[in-house]
Amino acid sequence: MKTRSMISAALLACAVFLALAAAAAAKTGSKDSASSSAPPAAASGSSHQDESLHLEGERRFRANCARCHAAPPRFAPRMMGTIVRHMRVRATITDDDMRYILRYMTE
Amino acid sequence: MCSNRRWPRKVAQAGLLGLIFLLPAALLGQDSSQNLDTIQSLDEGIKPIPILTGSTGYFTRVTAGQYQDAPSVSPLLLLPVGDRWLVEAKGSYSDTYSKNALGDYTGHISYGLTYAQIDYITKYATFTAGRFTTPFNIFGERLAPNWIRALQPSPLTSPVTSGSALGGMVRGGFPGTQKINLNYAVYFSANNTHHLLATDRSTGARMGFFVPGTRLELGASFQQVLQADRPHSSGVYFEWQPMRAPLTMRSEYVRSSGTKGSAYWFESVYRLSQISALRRLEMVGRGQQFFAASNLSAATIKKLGALGKDTNQADFGLNYYFRSDVRASASYGRQFVLGGNSNLWTVGMTYRFVMPMGPTGNKL
Repeated sequence: MKTRSMISAALLACAVFLALAAAAAAKTGSKDSASSSAPPAAASGSSHQDESLHLEGERRFRANCARCHAAPPRFAPRMMGTIVRHMRVRATITDDDMRYILRYMTE
Repeated sequence: MCSNRRWPRKVAQAGLLGLIFLLPAALLGQDSSQNLDTIQSLDEGIKPIPILTGSTGYFTRVTAGQYQDAPSVSPLLLLPVGDRWLVEAKGSYSDTYSKNALGDYTGHISYGLTYAQIDYITKYATFTAGRFTTPFNIFGERLAPNWIRALQPSPLTSPVTSGSALGGMVRGGFPGTQKINLNYAVYFSANNTHHLLATDRSTGARMGFFVPGTRLELGASFQQVLQADRPHSSGVYFEWQPMRAPLTMRSEYVRSSGTKGSAYWFESVYRLSQISALRRLEMVGRGQQFFAASNLSAATIKKLGALGKDTNQADFGLNYYFRSDVRASASYGRQFVLGGNSNLWTVGMTYRFVMPMGPTGNKL
């Protein structure tokens, strides 16, 4: 009885999680498609905006990555894309943090 | 007796229900605070390529007078597919040489598959399937690689919980409010009796709150094994990096309801970056205690080995970074166990490698 209740609770939690995540993913997808038609903000922005993005990227890098390990050397952008995606999963960093950090490490 | 046996179930259910109710609130509360258009365009045009990375190391250990030399390598293959998929596979291989009774060195090879998982990544959740590291507190997932861990000896909390899982997991991180990020992981695992890939039938979850402004993270974990004597484990952790000092403090506490007892450790890492001549050096200190489960029979204590006796341990170490990917380490520890205290010396080097497996595009 105890085991069955535990399994039921775990399955219920997983089911609700999956539903929530799926809904969130669908929401993200619609935003992605909406934003893809707009010109990239970084490309059209001023140097002030570049500086702002740089500082924000550095801040997020120090807060998320430097907590566990020393700052790595800068790799080619396509390598950093893979490394940051890996760390997105491993360290559960947020989507926004991942994008700022990727820009900071490839600029 | 009856009430004592019920509380783990209540804790588990309360924890899982808490996760369920917390997530929607966090999801609903965040969108208005983000300039999504700007942020989402930051990684446009970067197509990730497969990478072979990992670390290799060579360490000499002296444990209670017994010398060991241990070269090791842990390769990690990262294979991104499209915009949202990632295949990750990490193995480990080590050869430990030690002197036998005749004074000759003999080697003992050990190898294994740390994880082999496929991830589907969305904004709020990553869906993982395969063999993966159990999401329990922070050491196993974040700090275990030898090029990351501040002290090479593993903490006494490590054997208390199941370290690997075979099944599915949902995890992610997102801003809960403007000042707090949330991260979570929920998993289930099947039983696997293969001698290299053994896992328990279990389920569990972890949730953490990270405050970027103060670089403070607090979290809690729960794990329920669903086989044998069905022990559960619960744990809490914290990690803090003060803004004004190159200092990292972290700690974990784990308690198991079964025969594996409970343990905690507290670690401080100080980088001497304010002294130019010593800026590549960091000092590490760690204190920890392990409490064996009570009422263990003599046979069980013998079977459990190190997990059968109360243990206190203090470690001190130095790490020197020749480069960000090449590090020399040395540490000394004193272990206090009933019937036999011992010294633990470790000295060695680690190297983290990263190799592209495709055209890298522009060099930086």
